[in-house]
Order: sequence, then C-alpha cells, then structure tokens
Amino acid sequence: MAGAGLLVAQEPTQQPTQPQTLPSQPAVSPQNPDATQPPPPTHLGPVIVLDPAHGGTDTGARGAGGAVEKDVVLAFARTARGELERQGLRVVMTRTDDSNPSYDDRAAMANAYRNAIFITLHVSSTGTFSTARVYYYHFPNPPAQSPAASSTASALTTWEDAQRSYADPSHRLADAIQVQLAQRFAGSPALSTSVAIRELRSVAEPAIAIEISSVSVSDPNSLAQLAAPLAVSIARGVTVFQPPATLPAAAPVPVPGAK
Amino acid sequence: MPRNLKIAFGILGVAVLVGLISLRGLHRRIEHLGDIQSSDEQLRRDLLAPQISTSTDVKVKAAIFWAAGPDHTAPVEIEMALSADPVQRAKQVLLELIKDPPTPEQRTLPANTALASLYILPDGTAIADFSDALSSEMPSGILSEGMAVDSIARTLESNVNTLHRLKILIHGQEVETLAGHVDLTGFFDLNPPTSPPVAGASPAAQTTTATGSSANPRR
Repeated sequence: MAGAGLLVAQEPTQQPTQPQTLPSQPAVSPQNPDATQPPPPTHLGPVIVLDPAHGGTDTGARGAGGAVEKDVVLAFARTARGELERQGLRVVMTRTDDSNPSYDDRAAMANAYRNAIFITLHVSSTGTFSTARVYYYHFPNPPAQSPAASSTASALTTWEDAQRSYADPSHRLADAIQVQLAQRFAGSPALSTSVAIRELRSVAEPAIAIEISSVSVSDPNSLAQLAAPLAVSIARGVTVFQPPATLPAAAPVPVPGAK
Repeated sequence: MPRNLKIAFGILGVAVLVGLISLRGLHRRIEHLGDIQSSDEQLRRDLLAPQISTSTDVKVKAAIFWAAGPDHTAPVEIEMALSADPVQRAKQVLLELIKDPPTPEQRTLPANTALASLYILPDGTAIADFSDALSSEMPSGILSEGMAVDSIARTLESNVNTLHRLKILIHGQEVETLAGHVDLTGFFDLNPPTSPPVAGASPAAQTTTATGSSANPRR
C-alpha cells in the first residue's frame, strides 16, 4: 500500500507513446490545385487522457430508471473526445469499450506521455440532477522525511504519491473547468473541491475528476443531453488552463506561393 | 381386518413416524438459524446502541456533522453526555452520527453501519473500524463518499480535540476505497495545526473546498 510501490520519475522523462505532430500543410485538391481545404487537426498541446470510469463488471452507479454509470460516462467521453479533437487537441481514452482497466493501468496511460492532462468522468447516484463538480487530489501536509530519504525524493517519488507534485496545476485545471461547467450546469459550485480520489493518486500529470449528478433519473435519455455542454466545458477549460499560445492556431496555415 | 388395510395402516404409521422425526430435525435447524439471526441482530443493536456511558460523562453540546445540502456537511449541536475519555467520547459522537440524523435527507452514513471498534494511538491517530455496511450500502459516487468521510472526520475533530489524524478500516481491514472512489489507504487530517501552512500546501485549496481539508488523506 502507501509507500510500498514502484518509483516513478518526478519529472516525466518517458517518451510519449506517439510523438506530438507538427502543424501540417493544408491539403491541396488534385482537381483544383489552388483551392485549399481546411487544415487537418494539428496536435501541439497536451495530450488529453479521457478516462470513462468503471467498466466491465464494475457498473458504477445504477439509476432506478435504468441508467448505468459505466455506459453513460463512456458516451460522455466519446462526445468530449470529438469536441477536444475539433480544438486540435490529441485525445486518448483509457477505455473505448466495456473493459475495466485497473486504477494503476489508467494512471500508467497518462504517465506514458510527457505532457498530458488526465480527466476521469463519473456520474453520481446522488445530488441535484444536471449539476457538475470537479475534484482534484490535494495533499495538505507533505510527509516528514529523513535527510537521507529527501535526496532520493527530490528526483523520485513513489507511485502512490505521484500526484503530490501536481497538486497545484491539478487545482488550477479543476477550477478552470469548474468555472465553465458552472456556466452551463445551473446550480453547480463555482469552484472545484479537493477529495482524495483513488483514481487520481498515481497520475504524474495534472489530473482531475468530473462528476455529473446523477443516474437517479426516470428517463436515462435525459443524461445524454448533458454530454454536449460537458464536452464544451472541458474543451474550454483545458484551453484556459493551457493558453492558446501553445495550442494549434485555428486559422489555416499559409501555403508557400499561395495568394 | 383385511390384509391390504393392515399393510396400508402400517405404511401410514411408518410415514407418520418418519415425518415426525424429520419435522423435529427441521424445527431444530430453524431454531438454530433463528439463534444465529438474533445473535447477529443483538450484536448490531449492541454496537449501535447509544448506551456508552462512563463515570466522567458530562452533558455538553456536541457538534455532529450531517448533510446540510446536496454537497456539504454542517454541524448540528446536540446536547448529550460525553465522556472525558477520548476513546469513549469518540465512540459516543460517531454512534450519534450514525444513529440519529435530524432528517433522513441529512444522513451521511448508511443506517446499518456499525462502529466495530475505535482505538487512539499515542500520537493522536484515531483508528475507526466500521462494519461492511459503510462500504457496501454507501450510495456510489465521489459526492456521497466524500461527504461520508467528511462527516466522520469533522465530527471527530470537533468533539475530541486531542486527535490529529484518522484511519478508516472496514471490517478490520485497510481497503483501497470506501465504495470505489474515495481513497482509504491514507490518513485524514484532524485538528490541523493553526501555524502557517507548510510549503506545498495551497491556501486557496482550503478556501475552495466544499467538503473541507479534513477529507484529504495524509501518508
């Protein structure tokens, strides 16, 4: 348990699974060489790791009307993925089917990237319908360390404590997205909340959890209507957290020789 | 009497005898099951019963943290006799938290939760061991689990000021999460020091948390 796990580099040094791509040239139509098509999405910003929680035999919350958390969050993640990719961000998902990766497997997917943001999606069984809360893992008191241990700890941290170094950026990311959610989900809090969520603990990247209320609706289809505003809130919150200067430009890239 | 009738009476007699024997065994088994159920129920009642009284009990206003809305807890002052002994006092307030929410909507812990045991280590660490019901009957979600832990931690720290941290066990074991979300592998801060925050702690976090800093674990 705590302190007994593997060590991970405090400064992420692993190569991303797939390198970020540079802005590409706009495609030129063979039929009309002068006409430029909209540029394909470019990927310069952080990799967004979307984590639909639960899966498989772990259904998560179940509503009396038939809504099941594992299915709802998968649908939310797919919608959010589309929205984020439209913003030119690279998105990976910890699961795309009814599988159930372990907490550590999910964290490892995020930790494999040099510059990533981890967002786990949940739906609660309580709370006012159509409200949304963002959580981050907060470590209020760093543990006391012996002088001998502190030199090692300056470069390495335990797997169980991987999120500790990212507490502040996670808090900023959580607030950035919570502000967006509060504008679209009336009754949601204005600022994020810190709760020790197991899924975030071993992520060595800015990491947050978003929980929508709730599966306790008579018509499960009403939850589907929350997917689009959730996706927009995530995309805009990420953009605020990671300023557009580091994100791909929306305008087409000029083509040499084009008028 | 005809021979056939004698045979029929004989078979009937044997059947009645076998039936009586079987019935007696069945009755014993039912009684045994009843004993097990009643002893379990008695154990539960004993654990949930408020009759923890000590010679040092003094009537005070205890602050019990129940739900005060969909996403936060708040203290409710309850006049009750509390022991001077920290262990007994901690048990008394936790039993009150489980047993007597002012309204069903204010409940933060499942009604069937039992506090199996509670210890306090010399460094001020409270180890609270709850029954399986705390985990198995907890409504799923970060919101509900966060409020449950928050209500336990804040009730303890408000009424037993010698406590500094809390460890929650389920059925005598350390578990990874409460009900799939909140991390129970660490400790939860109680009565945090009033001195300036240590480096690395984010003051803003203290002001923006809805469930309070006590619901954050420390390793």
